[in-house]
Amino acid sequence: MQCSSDCSLCLGGDAGLISLKNFTFTYKNGDEAKLNRASVDIKAGQFVLVCGATGSGKSTLLKALVGLVPHFSGGTASGVRTIDGQDFSRAMPHETAHLIGYVNQQPEGAFVADTVLEELAFALEQLAIGRDEMIRRVDAALAATGLSELRNRKLFELSGGQQQRVAIAAALSAGQKILVLDEPTSALDPLAAKELLEFVWRLSRSEGITVIVAEHRIERLVGLVDSVIIVNNDGTVSQGEPQTQLAKFKFVPPLIELAHQLAWPKVLLSIEHAAEEFARSAPHTTKRIAHLPLGSEVLNAERVTVDYGSLRAVDSVSLSAKAGEVIAVMGENGSGKTSLLWALQGTGNRGDGRISVAGQDPATLTATERLSVVAMVPQQAADLLFLPNLGDELDEADEVAEAKSASTSQLFEQFSGRIDPSIHPRDLSSGQQLALVLAMQLVKNASLVILDEPTRGLDYAAKKQVAQVLRNLASSGKAVIFASHDVEFIAQSADRVIQLEAGKVIADQPVETALEYRADNSLASQVAQITKLPGVIALQQVVTNE
Amino acid sequence: MIQKLASKIHPSTWWVISLALAVIAGSATSIVQTLSVAALSVLLILVFRENAPWARSLKFYLILALAVVVIRVVFRIVFSFSQETDDILLELPRFELDFGLGAIGLLGNVSAPAMLGALLDGSRLAAIILAIAVANTLANPRKLLKSAPGALYEIATSVSVAINLAPQLIESFARVRRARGLRGKGRKSSTLNGLLIPVLEDTLDRSLLLAASMDARGFGRKSTQSKGELLLARVLGLQSLLAITMGVFVLLSGFSAPAAMTLLAIGAVTSVISVRLTSRRNSRTSIARTARTPIDFAVIAACSVLLIVHFAWAVMPV
Amino acid sequence: MNKQPLLSKVSIAVAALASILMFAWPLLIATDSQNENLLAQAVFMALMPLIIAIVLVEFSTGEIGSRQLAILGVMTAINAVIRLLGAGTAGIETAFFLIIIGAYIFRSGFGFILGSASILVSALLGAGVGPWLPFQMMAAGLVGIGAGALPRFKGKFAQLLTLCVYAVLASFVYGALMTLWNWPFLAGADSSVSYEAGAGLGANLLRFLNYEIATGGLLWDAGRAITTCALILIAAPALLTSLRRAANRGGFEG
Repeated sequence: MQCSSDCSLCLGGDAGLISLKNFTFTYKNGDEAKLNRASVDIKAGQFVLVCGATGSGKSTLLKALVGLVPHFSGGTASGVRTIDGQDFSRAMPHETAHLIGYVNQQPEGAFVADTVLEELAFALEQLAIGRDEMIRRVDAALAATGLSELRNRKLFELSGGQQQRVAIAAALSAGQKILVLDEPTSALDPLAAKELLEFVWRLSRSEGITVIVAEHRIERLVGLVDSVIIVNNDGTVSQGEPQTQLAKFKFVPPLIELAHQLAWPKVLLSIEHAAEEFARSAPHTTKRIAHLPLGSEVLNAERVTVDYGSLRAVDSVSLSAKAGEVIAVMGENGSGKTSLLWALQGTGNRGDGRISVAGQDPATLTATERLSVVAMVPQQAADLLFLPNLGDELDEADEVAEAKSASTSQLFEQFSGRIDPSIHPRDLSSGQQLALVLAMQLVKNASLVILDEPTRGLDYAAKKQVAQVLRNLASSGKAVIFASHDVEFIAQSADRVIQLEAGKVIADQPVETALEYRADNSLASQVAQITKLPGVIALQQVVTNE
Repeated sequence: MIQKLASKIHPSTWWVISLALAVIAGSATSIVQTLSVAALSVLLILVFRENAPWARSLKFYLILALAVVVIRVVFRIVFSFSQETDDILLELPRFELDFGLGAIGLLGNVSAPAMLGALLDGSRLAAIILAIAVANTLANPRKLLKSAPGALYEIATSVSVAINLAPQLIESFARVRRARGLRGKGRKSSTLNGLLIPVLEDTLDRSLLLAASMDARGFGRKSTQSKGELLLARVLGLQSLLAITMGVFVLLSGFSAPAAMTLLAIGAVTSVISVRLTSRRNSRTSIARTARTPIDFAVIAACSVLLIVHFAWAVMPV
Repeated sequence: MNKQPLLSKVSIAVAALASILMFAWPLLIATDSQNENLLAQAVFMALMPLIIAIVLVEFSTGEIGSRQLAILGVMTAINAVIRLLGAGTAGIETAFFLIIIGAYIFRSGFGFILGSASILVSALLGAGVGPWLPFQMMAAGLVGIGAGALPRFKGKFAQLLTLCVYAVLASFVYGALMTLWNWPFLAGADSSVSYEAGAGLGANLLRFLNYEIATGGLLWDAGRAITTCALILIAAPALLTSLRRAANRGGFEG
């Protein structure tokens, strides 16, 4: 911690130091720099959080540490990268593979082999380690990560959380002392995400591994990290103590936002401390959640069942939605959320049951007719995009919907502001892609809006924006249903929460009941856990008593 | 028990069996021989096949083999234009057809020896197809790719990535098609682009992630190889190609079959040396047991014996 | 992978010559001894995989990075899958347009590997492995080499036109090569449309054309040419954009 800038001078005995100095990176000539004279300096064994807004260059910073930027990203870079005091500025990633391990957001997309054993051996094979030594090292890595019983399993049989752990073990199997994780929990449900981060933290402590992790849902990590790096939108980077860094960061979890809102003297980094502080400085007046008055029934579904072969994905689900209502569907991966949403939309497989949206069964309509009844944004919004620029996509959407020209683009502008229509749709951020598809789907003013995991890959600011869009849709008389794991987002946006388990509805409650503080409620929001007050789940409910 | 034995056999050993059977089929002089090869191949497949995608294609190979025999026989009848008079099976009128490229004779008498000849020819190719089907259904292509020479390591990796990707791609196509259903059809949206572009973009993104992950784990490391050795490998490669080309010319010109075979053999040997030399630039190791076991050597020995007996039988004076 | 050294270029040219001779042997063979004909056929079958191996090594010893390999893997997989999906429909060939477009962007070496690997993977997945496989791989690889060497015009229209003209040409050449391969097998040596060993190139070419016409091979090729052209016209503009985006490579400055 003592040597501030030039670390190569105080090279200690243990491995795991990494730094960037004056690192600048630009995608294309003339573009703004994604990283602008960024300098970071990470000590051996530290646990470091990297945060920044979506599109801020957070991933770029991690990739620069690994050497993937600029070699795999395109663009030009300058600056110095050192590992354990040695200069690796221009090295390809494979040249530093024995020193640093890297795991990206989708482990299932980055697997090379088909069994756990072979996956862990991959790095060792590349480093030309002999077979006996290789098996010894793989087993050691499996033991260190507690994955020994998975040794001979096929990768595709594993759960998302297990796959992510295997990916981490594979990144460390060659004895790497530095681990770089890019949003490791983005595809996991809340419980699996929590377990994974605890796993990484334990690994870091027990094996003395330097961990550098980027994560949107900062609240999971703020209590654990030694240092926080913030990547600003202009590409500059700052590094420092968690408390001071997070106090100045704009896109923070409710935990920290609450501290700002209540003007606490300092930011508290754990729910427990915040809860104590809240109890001490109480009382605060709290407001009830403002639900909209409900209108007529938009959706009525009775005993909907979806089967895939012998597997029953959705089991006799009945639900109704009224105009002005926002409903969140929660449940573990594989509980039938996506199947239910597609069945409600009308194109999904539906075995049994009756669905009526504004008096019509959407399954009997054509694609164009359906647009004026139900709008749907799938999990991967980009699946709908195939034209070479944004302008074409917008025009095409008008034409298909037989809508007035520019009506899609007006909607899109409402959701995300003006964007240059010549941009390639794949270069939009995930939030912008979501807005684009939402605009396309809403151009015929459908009365039911369905979204599958709308906040995947979004930061707090973008999530707030999406929540606001959903609230606006509800107040304009639409019914909104979305599937999500994201408790804080649901606390901001939903009126009602439906929980699915193995295709069945196990709870259908108002949001303030579903997410409120109870000893046994794993879905309690941060605000609920801090205030411990019944029915208090969201920031806007808590106000100072000035 | 049988499955366990099958999984112990090196994938390249299945290819040795296949090629030995194919050679016997190709040089067969009687339908009994071709039928035995075909029967043996089918038997091997039935006994040893595992439950894997590439192992389910026996039916297809059988249909293909049968089709080859039928096509060959039909060709013999339709384009025979023969006036033979002995052992006639079928007497058909003769026609001549001209597309301006010289006449084609059609139909005519079909004799028993001619039919037998066509059947032998057809069953020869059919037996070769079934013999190769043995390797294709029993050798796990992933394992085989792992034992590819180091010089082809990058391409073998690329191909095994492709084999792993293919089933995922079929899922992607289904997912994108469902999403496509959300948007109606417009002027610029062809079904092809609406499906292909999102799948391609998505898969390209994923493959670049994969490439990043592989490179970050050391893929692409090369051991230092002397420039001279590399140059030697290239020169040998060119030399082998020249020898093969010359051999082909000599063989086709009918000048001397032994001379042609010598040239071709030199070409083949030098090409193997060249590939081996180039392979030395890859120093990778493998966790999979790629070494052959005694079972493999026993099988290879048995195949050699079979080949020797087959050819000895053929040249033996009766 | 972008710049081939001269030695490598010579090797690839020789390999192409040797492989074309191995396709066209029934047109050229001078001896009418049935045994020597069978011998030639068998020897060529054994040699073709070796030639493919050498060409693959030639193309991959240059700089072929993980990124290009990944793109190659993806395109091979897509190509294999759409080839399997399109298989069985007479005259429809769905594999060629991606080979041609991919090779056009990433040059000949990529084209050869993409062409041959696409055929290999679809054969492995869909029961297409047989004695014809090395020949198909070589023919598709040659199509890729050719597409990679096409001139790059500035205008969009000129690019599309180049690709389409080449697609037609490649469809017929590929068809002719593969028909040459199956000619001795399916027609034997004793029918009125068979090759006649020793009869000379001219006479055999006429017989070969007759065989093509009698078996409808040319119709098949025309179908391939039309589908490939149509697919190129529909998909090339978008594909070229997508692939160029993916191909964009990075570097260090200064």
